[in-house]
Amino acid sequence: MMRQWKLKEIVLMSIFGVVFAVIYLMFYFFGQGLRNFLTPFGLAPFGYEVIFGIWFIVSIIAAYVIRKRGAAFWSELIAGTVQVLIGSPAGPQLIISAAIQGLGAEVVFLATRYRNFSLYVLMMAGMSAAVFSYAWGWFQSGLAALTPGLIIATLTVRVISGALLAGLLGKYISDQLAQTGVLRGYALGKEWEEKRDKSA
Amino acid sequence: MISSVNPALKMVAILIPGVLLSFSFDIFTPLIYLIFVVAFTFMFSKISIKKWLLLFSPFVFLAIGFAWMTVLYTSDSFAGGRVLFEFWWFEVTTGGVMVGISLALRSLCFVALSLMFILTTDSTKFMLSLMQQFKLPPKLTYGILAGYRFLPTFKHEFEVLRQAHRIRGIGRAKGLKGRIHQFRRYAIPLMANAIRKAERVAIAMESKGFTGETDRTHYHQMSIGRKDWAFFTSIVGAFCLVIIASYQLGYLNIFGVQF
Repeated sequence: MMRQWKLKEIVLMSIFGVVFAVIYLMFYFFGQGLRNFLTPFGLAPFGYEVIFGIWFIVSIIAAYVIRKRGAAFWSELIAGTVQVLIGSPAGPQLIISAAIQGLGAEVVFLATRYRNFSLYVLMMAGMSAAVFSYAWGWFQSGLAALTPGLIIATLTVRVISGALLAGLLGKYISDQLAQTGVLRGYALGKEWEEKRDKSA
Repeated sequence: MISSVNPALKMVAILIPGVLLSFSFDIFTPLIYLIFVVAFTFMFSKISIKKWLLLFSPFVFLAIGFAWMTVLYTSDSFAGGRVLFEFWWFEVTTGGVMVGISLALRSLCFVALSLMFILTTDSTKFMLSLMQQFKLPPKLTYGILAGYRFLPTFKHEFEVLRQAHRIRGIGRAKGLKGRIHQFRRYAIPLMANAIRKAERVAIAMESKGFTGETDRTHYHQMSIGRKDWAFFTSIVGAFCLVIIASYQLGYLNIFGVQF
């Protein structure tokens, strides 16, 4: 399935995975702090949900920049695996959750047949990743034991976070990178060059 | 010794109980398995107890926090039993407390399993065995290893950027807006550099004859032998034994259904 991939695209995706693994790990501790902060208000369950979207961002960026089948899935899986390698406390479990989140984003890109990468689609991908990850969390961390009201509330927050922190922010970062010109050899950079040529 | 077990198989051995444990909502099953994992870790590895405790203890607090949250927000299907006490709008029941403790023990099991994996596994060997035993494409494997190798250089680059900013008179940002702006000022150049590196590495790999074909030879040959299967069997087998024991003793509870 990686036949039509160029080596430089694979290496780029891997590097994205590594870079975001570090960022993910930082947000893990940030989320921990946020949760401790919210605990006295009885809002602890929302500590992670607010920033949960950040954990899907690499899928969005890799898919948006490279635009090939599997970019969203593999980049997230790499980020998950590298987090384990650098010693995330969440452990090998993380590899499974990363695969499921990546799959959630990939499904949306597959539905557009890898042709449409508008902001709307990117945000949908972030939301889909949120739903997939929630389904897995429901099973794995025993969310089944929580009241339905809390489940609906946390899911809603996570989906919104997925749309904004993954979809919107992911597009913004990718566009900023394309503007510097380093993505010239990849799908997004080429699109930017065409746009520039037309306007010139 | 756990550190000499094939890393890819070790990962699978740890993931199986890690996933199956998610079905149990009683206290007995995760507690006994946690004891087993901790005992196994110290019997078959050279991890110092002090280091292990240092890494493990923060998660005890985390688990307690999660248990407390579960106790407060228990769903109706789990919140059976006597009402222990009430405050504000919360009602704490024995069923809720049981589920809370169970989930806390479950998460500690995950942590103990993860520590056993992380503290005994070399990351390069892990990637190599994923490629050699689990047929991960070499292009992907070496791509990840190349990216992984760049991690220390990011720190150096960050320092360089900071000094460059400072020499031009840009100090620390104040306020939320300034912080966000500052984040952008660092993140974009750092990532742009990473992308350039990716491109250069890919060209270097190709120019040295890397084709990404799967029928290649390996300098570090990874294999799965009898010792690796022994590890696999003991980790997974112990889990099966715990499940059977907890069923026999009448503790087993799967998704709120008592067996």
